[in-house]
Amino acid sequence: MKQTKVTETRKVLLTAALGAAAACGASAYEVPLTFFGSNMPPIEVHGFASQGFLLSSDYDYLANDTKNGSFQFSEMGLNVSMNPFPNTRIAVQGFDFDVGNVGQYDPFLDYALIEYTVNDELGIRAGRIRRPSGIYNDIQDIDLARTFVLLPQGMYDARWRDWSAGLDGGELFGDFKLPKIGSLSYAAYAGMVNMQENGGVARYAENGSLPVATMDDTPTFGSQVWYNTPVDGLRVGANVTYMSEFGFTSAGPSPIQVGPGVYLPGEITSHTVGNVFFQQYSIEYLWRSWTFQAEYYTYNFTGWSHVQVYIPAAHKTIPQLQTTGDNPDTWYAAVSYRLNKHVELGTYYTMWEDASLHQNDLALCLRLDLKDWWLFKIEGHYLEGTGLLRDDASNPHQSQNGGWFMLALKTTVSF
Amino acid sequence: MKSNLLKVGFVVALACCLTPFRACALDGAVLIANSSVAADSLTADALKDIYTGKTKYWDGGQAIIIAVLPDKTDAALQQACGMDSSSFKTFWQRLAFSGRGQEPKKADDAAALVALVASTKGAIALAPADAALTGVKKIEIK
Repeated sequence: MKQTKVTETRKVLLTAALGAAAACGASAYEVPLTFFGSNMPPIEVHGFASQGFLLSSDYDYLANDTKNGSFQFSEMGLNVSMNPFPNTRIAVQGFDFDVGNVGQYDPFLDYALIEYTVNDELGIRAGRIRRPSGIYNDIQDIDLARTFVLLPQGMYDARWRDWSAGLDGGELFGDFKLPKIGSLSYAAYAGMVNMQENGGVARYAENGSLPVATMDDTPTFGSQVWYNTPVDGLRVGANVTYMSEFGFTSAGPSPIQVGPGVYLPGEITSHTVGNVFFQQYSIEYLWRSWTFQAEYYTYNFTGWSHVQVYIPAAHKTIPQLQTTGDNPDTWYAAVSYRLNKHVELGTYYTMWEDASLHQNDLALCLRLDLKDWWLFKIEGHYLEGTGLLRDDASNPHQSQNGGWFMLALKTTVSF
Repeated sequence: MKSNLLKVGFVVALACCLTPFRACALDGAVLIANSSVAADSLTADALKDIYTGKTKYWDGGQAIIIAVLPDKTDAALQQACGMDSSSFKTFWQRLAFSGRGQEPKKADDAAALVALVASTKGAIALAPADAALTGVKKIEIK
């Protein structure tokens, strides 16, 4: 209870500070630096804070208790950057978020990188970086940088940022001119993904099952390529990413069946390890005040669970080896139109399916840029299916087929 | 699936063939830069690369700082980079908050924009054609 109060207080203070900074500045802050008597390039400071509200008709989704309305949907970030030397940039961002039972306003280092650009064709970034994938992955939780409140959740799940948003490692990037037929932008990255025991992937892994005790650091590599066509605003992209030996350990008490209708108290420990191969294909066209987007995404997880079943009453341990896997796929098509500098409308339709589960979503959004530093969004969703809901005791509805509604509101201040 | 990919490829190829050559004129605006910038002219493609974040440094390694005057040079901005001012703002916010670029600096009026460019090393901006260009250099678009 005390911890919750401290967390809430911290959230309110951070939001108020960022809001005040945005209202007063409405632009970036610049901090001049002097080092041993000589002037260094200034430090740029930017920040934002977003607060959302979710209300759903039939099921709790994303946050807890959205059937009664939930404010457990917020993000804030503060970044600094500078160019200390020729062709060199340093950037650091702290981040804090809460989506249901993920995030919990526990601040962390979002990215911290040094970037050296050799020329337009080759640059290198090293440190903690955001992972480029598709149109939105590296800005999946930056509300101000998109039309919609909720991105298509089968592809950009708000609860899964620890799996998808970034990695500790490096990235090569650049842009090659293709005479008369456009250009090719690329980013090739490799590093370790550090998932948290209280993060979204852990919550998914323990979905109605044993609690996750540890998450393994996971070597990850991949590449995003964009073909920028000679048509202004039209680009097509592809991403492939491979996670090697992604794993986690689950442990906890569980009744063990030892005969027909006969159960004894027991303990289960399970270490699951597997490889994940992601593919994402994208097309985006910016034409006048219109934005057209479509993406397809799938991943294939194949792995093994080494299970130890211990029955204290029998002093017996039973080892088991189980294969496990997951192969969902999803797509969306989106259109948005900016009426003027203050008003933007957008809609998308998305389908997600995995084995017998599915969830489709039709969204309609109104974005209002009230001030240069303040925006507000209202978004309605008609969903069909419940495959992306978490299946737990308080919300046992993952395989429903009917239609239901959700309202999402969000406001963001930035500087 | 294969036939869908072929259709998408056909549409992209057709659009490429129908694309006109890039225009060089900037409606009601001129391109200005800080006096530290060595270049006296830029091609339209080079200007687009700067405004879309593909080119981030001048020859010599000085960071390119884009300065903008919202609402006053929107037509020229569209010609320079193919984005309206709202799309341009969102585009750079994406880069800045993902650690991939530095947001353009904003000025409130033409005089402030010229003063900002004059005092910022590596700065470049689209200024209203009737602005008094004091302390900055004019860059020709080829």
